[in-house]
Amino acid sequence: MPQVKIIAKNFMDMVASLPAMKLDALYHNTFICEAILRSLPPLAKKYILQMLYIDVPVTAKAMEEWVLADGFSKHRVAIDRLIQLRVFTETSDRKKETSYRLNPTFQTNLQKHLIYGGVLPREPMPSNITVRLPSLDDLEAYALGQWECFLLQLISSTQTEKLTNFSSSMMKVFQRGLLTQREKEAPRLTESGFQFLLMDTNAQLWYIMREYISNSEERGVDPADLISFLLELSFHVTGEAYNINTLTEFQRNTIKDLVDLGLVKLQQGRKESWFIPTKLATNLSMSLSDTSSRKQGFVVVETNFRLYAYSSSKLHCEILRLFSRVEYQLPNLIVGAITKESLYNAFENGITAEQIISFLQQNAHPRVAERTPAVPENVTDQIRLWETDLNRVETMPSHLYDEFPSRDVFEAACDFAREYGGLLWEDSKKMRLVVKAEIHLHMREYLRRPK
Amino acid sequence: MGHGEKGRPSKRHKSSSKDEHKNPVVEDEDAYYGEEFEDDYRDGEKEGKKRDFTKLELKVDHSNRPLWACADGRIFLETFSPLYKQAYDFLIAIAEPVCRPESMHEYNLTPHSLYAAVSVGLETETIIAVLSKLSKTKLPKEMIDFIHASTANYGKVKLVLKKNRYFVESPFPEVLKTLLRDEVISRSRISHEGSTGNDGFTISKTVGEIEGRHDELINEAELAAAAEEKETHSFEVDPAQVENVKQRCLPNALNYPMLEEYDFRNDTVNPDLDMELKPQAQPRPYQEKSLSKMFGNGRARSGIIVLPCGAGKSLVGVSAACRIRKSCLCLATNAVSVDQWAFQFKLWSTIRDEQICRFTSDSKERFRGNAGVVVTTYNMVAFGGKRSEESEKIIEEIRNREWGLLLMDEVHVVPAHMFRKVISITKSHCKLGLTATLVREDERITDLNFLIGPKLYEANWLDLVKGGFIANVQCAEVWCPMTKEFFAEYLKKENSKKKQALYVMNPNKFRACEFLIRFHEQQRGDKIIVFADNLFALTEYAMKLRKPMIYGATSHVERTKILEAFKTHKDVNTIFLSKVGDNSIDIPEANVIIQISSHAGSRRQEAQRLGRILRAKGRLQDRLAGGKEEYNAFFYSLVSTDTQEMYYSTKRQQFLIDQGYSFKIITSLPPPDSGADLSYHRLDEQLALLGKVLSAGDDAVGLEQLDEDADDIALQKARRSVGSMSAMSGASGMVYMEYNTGRNKHGGQGQIKGKPKDPSKRHHLFKRRFG
Repeated sequence: MPQVKIIAKNFMDMVASLPAMKLDALYHNTFICEAILRSLPPLAKKYILQMLYIDVPVTAKAMEEWVLADGFSKHRVAIDRLIQLRVFTETSDRKKETSYRLNPTFQTNLQKHLIYGGVLPREPMPSNITVRLPSLDDLEAYALGQWECFLLQLISSTQTEKLTNFSSSMMKVFQRGLLTQREKEAPRLTESGFQFLLMDTNAQLWYIMREYISNSEERGVDPADLISFLLELSFHVTGEAYNINTLTEFQRNTIKDLVDLGLVKLQQGRKESWFIPTKLATNLSMSLSDTSSRKQGFVVVETNFRLYAYSSSKLHCEILRLFSRVEYQLPNLIVGAITKESLYNAFENGITAEQIISFLQQNAHPRVAERTPAVPENVTDQIRLWETDLNRVETMPSHLYDEFPSRDVFEAACDFAREYGGLLWEDSKKMRLVVKAEIHLHMREYLRRPK
Repeated sequence: MGHGEKGRPSKRHKSSSKDEHKNPVVEDEDAYYGEEFEDDYRDGEKEGKKRDFTKLELKVDHSNRPLWACADGRIFLETFSPLYKQAYDFLIAIAEPVCRPESMHEYNLTPHSLYAAVSVGLETETIIAVLSKLSKTKLPKEMIDFIHASTANYGKVKLVLKKNRYFVESPFPEVLKTLLRDEVISRSRISHEGSTGNDGFTISKTVGEIEGRHDELINEAELAAAAEEKETHSFEVDPAQVENVKQRCLPNALNYPMLEEYDFRNDTVNPDLDMELKPQAQPRPYQEKSLSKMFGNGRARSGIIVLPCGAGKSLVGVSAACRIRKSCLCLATNAVSVDQWAFQFKLWSTIRDEQICRFTSDSKERFRGNAGVVVTTYNMVAFGGKRSEESEKIIEEIRNREWGLLLMDEVHVVPAHMFRKVISITKSHCKLGLTATLVREDERITDLNFLIGPKLYEANWLDLVKGGFIANVQCAEVWCPMTKEFFAEYLKKENSKKKQALYVMNPNKFRACEFLIRFHEQQRGDKIIVFADNLFALTEYAMKLRKPMIYGATSHVERTKILEAFKTHKDVNTIFLSKVGDNSIDIPEANVIIQISSHAGSRRQEAQRLGRILRAKGRLQDRLAGGKEEYNAFFYSLVSTDTQEMYYSTKRQQFLIDQGYSFKIITSLPPPDSGADLSYHRLDEQLALLGKVLSAGDDAVGLEQLDEDADDIALQKARRSVGSMSAMSGASGMVYMEYNTGRNKHGGQGQIKGKPKDPSKRHHLFKRRFG
């Protein structure tokens, strides 16, 4: 049985959680087969390649012999993952011996892919038609701009200058879980909303894509189609133009949404229009762990709790405002201070000290990033201390006893509770005591016992 | 900040409009306004008004330029910019540093900082040109206007003493004309026949500024202009009227505040003092720089130099005196520091013993010859009561002499009225104020601008630490949880007057203190100072731990003895000091400070105390970053959690934090696995201590009583802000002693003002004073 719990962390987790039917259907697309292969842990990749041309089941025992003793846990993970993705099918014979074989669709498609190479359903457009292609830098800036604009609209629709095409109902879907939406109340970020904002772009994108895919059925779109289109998109070349006429109608509709998220850029020529995938799109099939291309940090935190963010982004300003007091905004600098009040505010909203600290560390300006620690120790200590300061009160279920008939009974009851280690508080003047909930039953029994 | 500044000038007008000899009672009243003002201003800041300057136009090559300038006067400086050094020197001359941590500095342009800038010879257009050159954005129009408005009048007029004649000098004849339209000034003018110039002004040439460090940032035309000799116009005024003329020029009247310069080289009337620096006295780069600001144009400017404690302020003072080479009056805050100043003079200069004398209540020396150095305290000079015959003679001499240099130590602690008095009593050609911390809780520091002169130089603490000139201090705040019993009492209403005693005597704090003393004495062989403002606590701690202590009532002889033992004896490694030890007492051996109680939220006190251990010790290479003794000084501030102390503590640290220091928080001292052998380990001991605190009288557990300490001005200042009006009545010019049972800032201003003093105690004092 698979032992890995499914947390839809990235695309492949998403894929793995699809129903078996859909999953099998997905493997008809060779690109998906390749994407799946790429996403796997090294050992799992090796198993697939090893078994690619074996048409009979291989016993689990035989496979176990392939690995050294200390690699066994990795072996388990690999096997579990393969089963989860239905790349391996598990069979048990009469002797209860387990054996595995590759999913036949997957196998044939991958074989084909190996021999003939992958051919995208569409070719990049010739460059003479598309003279106005943006440079890669411009494209990346565009993508991040779009993404930020989307996020800003997501967290506070009042802040944005230009709105995305997403219908308000779609927006509501995205906001679900990130914002509280009570009647007649300005929406407020929830705990996971804060966490969301502090995540890096890829992780955020994943969260949104997940919502987008899981909501697809309500929009009359088959999630498998959507996933397969998105994966296909990730095999396009960043910065090349692709004719929009090569897309199906469903894909054309989807691509409009993807423009809003900054995954593709649309351009229109005299006769034709085309889309240009951005880095965000081509990174889709990457798993989260290998986001080696980290954004450059921009935050400097000083020992005096002042915070300087080299950024002109409104979104960054909004994020910093979550836990600091923004004092100055300059064309390319945001100046703020981390104060007790601003942090308490953040804690109240469910954001944790660790999240703030890791945000500050991950986004440390290169100037300070090489210094250890990147965020001054006294600041991180203080942030943690302020947090623990708020958590000094503990609650525990308990029971209050009063109206004792006599002092003797009261004192005996106190002694009894003390003996059980459950006496929390006593007031001998008014003859009241509080005991832990777990000894309540004993206590009651004791008091009812005839003296 | 901007709105804060707007409010200030009116206050300044009010205080500076006061007659020199008005009685100090009114001054005190004014001090309250100062405090209220500051509180409002802080609150205003707390609102966190967002300032949006995103519309400023960013220059294309902004990444090469080091600073941003905001319309409200705030300036941000990147310390990692290649132009940092030049930008820093420039900013420190024109703006007030707000905070200077490692990567980013903040400065504020204020009218006073600009006043200081123009007074060291920077011109309006130069300031704007350099600033816009350094700025990443186009300068906001508001800032340019502000600079114009603030510098329009400042630095235009100088008062120069040449050959014992006073001249009002200015490069702008039209300004002089404006001044002469004033009746007082025109009456004071001494006209000469045969003077040149259309308006009868004497025209002469003065040497341009010698230093030209900012010039590289200015274009060549401006550079040429700066180097050129400047033509100045001047007229002479009657020496007897000089004070009046100065008064008329203050911002509340004609608003052309005069800079005072002393052309000491051409002073042939006052005899020269034969002294120079000894060859081994090598001023450090920053000391040179501060002196160059003072003597920038060949004359001596009046002003204030700000250097951290331990950075060698005395050498700067002695060097200045050696350059001027005229009689010098040196004012210190108390008798101990008088001794130390006299020692410093002898140490660094070739002055002969008979040329220097100390004048305190204990030692009344007089120098021989026609020029010399007198070291005394502010109180001795300002004292208005009856003096002994001998003192009277000396003070008469001080009054009658024309001093080349008035050297004033620790100017931040001296009340403004005391300054006025001292300055009006003594005639000096040049005034130099020295201080480590130009912060005052009453924010009246700005008065010093007009009483002494502008701030000439302020060193950056972190740079000095990096250079190994001052010790690299590890600061820590130790959180001591209140014990259950102490906290219960602390919360009781009837103990409101004992709150301080309760949180200071918190057994956990005591144990933390004992632990730290043991650790540093035994493991590291350090010398430790323990500070306590609360006299009850001071005595309890010192007695219990069997350590020597010094407080207000400790006689001068005993103090000297204890300090001597601390310096030389290997068994005396810890001393307890009350706040008499905050300033001036030089204890170079100490390298650990443990602070167990303090004066509310005083940022200055915190910085001064830290200053006691800033003097760099050990070998230079060990001290630099990465050396084996990178931190060889320790500053612990013990606070009882959940009490007022926490709030004060944050406030107190602000100054040091702004200088780039960081406080590490330590939460478990003594460590959980040890401490059984420390005092108050058992509950019954703790309860006994609690009983002692509770049974002591309210007076006994309050702040230190200050009667015996007549020569410590620091204490007067503290009193001054608490003093009630009625208590002051009827004896202007007196040095007042009052009893102070702790100042409760939460109580609101009204309560403080109205708080009646215990009259019986005051009587005793008055009796003592009037014999």
